[in-house]
Amino acid sequence: MSATSLGATDQLATPPTGPAPLVETVRHGRWSDLWRAISRNKKAVAGVLLLLVFIVLSIFPGQIAPYDGQAEIFQPALGVSRHHLLGTTAYGQDIFSQVVWGTRLSLMIALAVGGLATVLAVLVGVSAGYLGGATDGFLSLVTDVILVLPIFPLIIVIAAYEKNAGLLTLIVVLGVLGWSYGARQLRSQTLSLRTRDFLESARVRGERKSYVILYEILPTMTSLIVATFLGAALYAVLTAAGLQFIGLGDPNSQSWGTMLYWAENNEALSAGMPLWAIAPGVCIALLGAAFALLNYAFDEVSSPALRVRKLERTKLQKAKPTPAQPAPSETTGGPVLKVEDLSVAYATDAGPVIAVDHVDLELGRGEFLAIVGESGCGKSTLLYAIARLLGSPLPGEIVGGRVLFNGRDLVHLDEKELRRVRWRDLSVVMQSAMNALNPVLTVYQQMEDACRAHANWSKAEIEVRSREVLRLVSIDPVHLNSYPHQLSGGMRQRAMIAMALLFTPDLVIMDEPTSALDVVAQRSLMVQIKELQEQLRFAVVFVTHDMSLVSHFSDRLLVMYAGQVAELSQTKELFDRPLHPYSQGLLGAFPSIHGPKVRLVGIPGSPPDLAHPPAGCRFAPRCPHVEPRCTAAEVPLFSVNGSLVRCVLHEEVG
Amino acid sequence: MRFVLRRLGFFVVTLWAAITLNFLIPRLMPGNAALAMMARYRGHINPQALHAIQIAFGVNNHQGLLASYFAYLGNIFRGRFGVSLTFFPDAVTHDVLQALPWTLALVGVTTILAFVLGTLIGLLAAWRRGGWLDGALPPIFVITSSFPYFWLALLAIWLFAIKLGWLPQSGGYDIKDNVAWTWGFAGDAAKHAILPAMTILITSIGAWILTMRNNTISVLAEDYIRMARAKGLHPWRIMWTYAGRNAILPNLVGFAMSLGFVVAGAILVEYVFNYPGVGWMFLQSVENQDYALMQALFLMIVVAVLTAILAADVATVALDPRTRDVR
Repeated sequence: MSATSLGATDQLATPPTGPAPLVETVRHGRWSDLWRAISRNKKAVAGVLLLLVFIVLSIFPGQIAPYDGQAEIFQPALGVSRHHLLGTTAYGQDIFSQVVWGTRLSLMIALAVGGLATVLAVLVGVSAGYLGGATDGFLSLVTDVILVLPIFPLIIVIAAYEKNAGLLTLIVVLGVLGWSYGARQLRSQTLSLRTRDFLESARVRGERKSYVILYEILPTMTSLIVATFLGAALYAVLTAAGLQFIGLGDPNSQSWGTMLYWAENNEALSAGMPLWAIAPGVCIALLGAAFALLNYAFDEVSSPALRVRKLERTKLQKAKPTPAQPAPSETTGGPVLKVEDLSVAYATDAGPVIAVDHVDLELGRGEFLAIVGESGCGKSTLLYAIARLLGSPLPGEIVGGRVLFNGRDLVHLDEKELRRVRWRDLSVVMQSAMNALNPVLTVYQQMEDACRAHANWSKAEIEVRSREVLRLVSIDPVHLNSYPHQLSGGMRQRAMIAMALLFTPDLVIMDEPTSALDVVAQRSLMVQIKELQEQLRFAVVFVTHDMSLVSHFSDRLLVMYAGQVAELSQTKELFDRPLHPYSQGLLGAFPSIHGPKVRLVGIPGSPPDLAHPPAGCRFAPRCPHVEPRCTAAEVPLFSVNGSLVRCVLHEEVG
Repeated sequence: MRFVLRRLGFFVVTLWAAITLNFLIPRLMPGNAALAMMARYRGHINPQALHAIQIAFGVNNHQGLLASYFAYLGNIFRGRFGVSLTFFPDAVTHDVLQALPWTLALVGVTTILAFVLGTLIGLLAAWRRGGWLDGALPPIFVITSSFPYFWLALLAIWLFAIKLGWLPQSGGYDIKDNVAWTWGFAGDAAKHAILPAMTILITSIGAWILTMRNNTISVLAEDYIRMARAKGLHPWRIMWTYAGRNAILPNLVGFAMSLGFVVAGAILVEYVFNYPGVGWMFLQSVENQDYALMQALFLMIVVAVLTAILAADVATVALDPRTRDVR
């Protein structure tokens, strides 16, 4: 039942072809999907089996228990024997029979309370979330108040006044007080769903609110509703047992809690009848565990990040170190970055998926290289492979090739050696600073920890340098003491760039650093990056899906398709004479500012599934110029006037 | 600051709700429990004291419901909870204040300890994803957290007090001792506290471990963790200030929510161990139909829970700058 053995349960996650979203929720988790996921989860199976045992016991106690549990017909305090599997009580009752008969009441309370609490939680939570406004305000307040009121003592108070409270009272009180936790979660889930497209469209269609709630919202919340039920059932099992144990239930009822009450009153443990107290306790714990296990399993199913994906090490072999070459004296003159034959694989249930396939590239000092391509073509994966940021806890592993940075192969450096290179010589700017900056630290604190990790600067020196880099990106240094959420989107992005320049590295890796901004801010940020780059002479690898964005800034362009290099040329060359049909398609997909008006043509279709790449040229299925030889064999890169292109059309020239 | 003020407002509303429930429940029960309760006092105490209780409870046959409600609120405000029947003629407040330190020391300390330890273990388990800690803990603690507290308490007494005789089996201190601030007494009290404390710790720690582990796993997938690695920070620094600092925030909210569970468990643990705290006295008062004491203890418990939640809120404000800004 270890968490590591759960990897195989994960068929809901789509095979990641880029840095995949890691916390996916089962958005349209219909019953069938949910059932399939659950049936493959060991915790869930254990929970279901336990629950089944108790259900059988509660339905057929007469057939399973050898005697009437209440009948005082045997010798008191008998030990374990063939006739009395668990011995007898101080009153001469058969303990085993009592446990079996006691199942019914305990299970019934659990299921009834679970059901009642779930219905109330759904009603209150979904209405509050969906209706909003004052209704939400009021319902949320009630929910929160009931949530923090200590319910157990409250029930005791009620039971104290109503001595002969029956089973129904107990169920109603537990149910009425136990819904708040679920309601709170259902409310926030509903809130997050409210603005989703499918609900907007239902609203536009003029569907009734009750219809929207019943048929559009509820099915998407299946796993949360089930979790609410399980949580309430678990709580009911424990609370009811506690109440019965202190004698607040009907002392003549047959339940595990009542058994414990009598056992405790007769000091069963010290009086030689330990099983009288142990057996019902174990049953309560097991029934509780059944609900808890199921609940936990549901948690795992609805957020796949919680499951450990077992990397299939057998198939996915790490890159072997190539014999150490004498460190070339390239550290000053040679290329800053040389990627040789780099391959990256993701482990999925269907086996390894090659997301970056034998990529070579070279980057000179101060050079600006842009990598473009559609989403899922492996460009971000390539980037993070170069920066050695793949792997735990993110999926993906380098399975072959080398990344020579200043002549050193980063692929085979261990974490400690890597740390010395990171940020000092190679820094990273990520897509969204909102997510990439630590929300609980100030800008200064985040600069400070980088400085402390790599330099022996005094506090004053760190502050001076931090101010300096902020001014470089034209941010007022007063913002050093701001938290990320206090800055505007553009400022956050520039603050992250400032952070990347703390040590004036040789190479800055940028993953769509402008895509979170509006067009005007994008332009000004690009201009600023370019200026800084020319001023400070660092090299840039810049990933984007927007070719037009980099047209004026990059020296060379690398077009990626399906994990491979499709074309690598000078930027101007590629814009003027794109060689690969894919590059032509990409260019056709962007309007030209200067040229004559042409009809924009997109590229029909979508990138291939990298788990099953098409034979031969991977672009062939979408290519307007496809020929028989395209699919016959793998297409190598051809060299055409200094450009590299992976297309048979250019075979003759090469 | 706005956040804390809002939470203070919530504190007041919840307390008011609890007081109102306290007032309404006996009156809503079939057969008017309040009157039955008064009948129980009659004959036990002199008419003067009876009158005092009538005021304290807001039970007065000449007043309407609303008028007695306000009278009741007024009494609560002035700390007039009436006279205890069990410990007659002590004022209820006197008894409550006597029980409170025991519970604060036992349940308070244990809960904080369980939270801190559980959070640390959960963080470590998630950080070393797939390691032995991560492999072994979740299944173990899913099961221990569904143990009934009182049952574990029974087993602990049987094993450690009766069979092995290592530790005392009940009470908060040896009856031969005088309750005083001496080392001997403190040591004795500590010895009595070990078993109940371990019981609460073992059953409550699982929840913190599991939620912290899951929070941390979600946080580890965040971009800022990748960024921290790119910055070449020391792994401990990443674990602590990047993963831990962010993952503990939802755990603090969870702390508030799970507290009710811990309180329920602690009441039963005190009961099983005859530990002279609020929980034990609460159940005693129920058994003796000492309603004045019971109501006061219930409110005491509510105040304790709300205070703990407020403390969690303050900690949230201290750890999460986003809650500090007026939105």
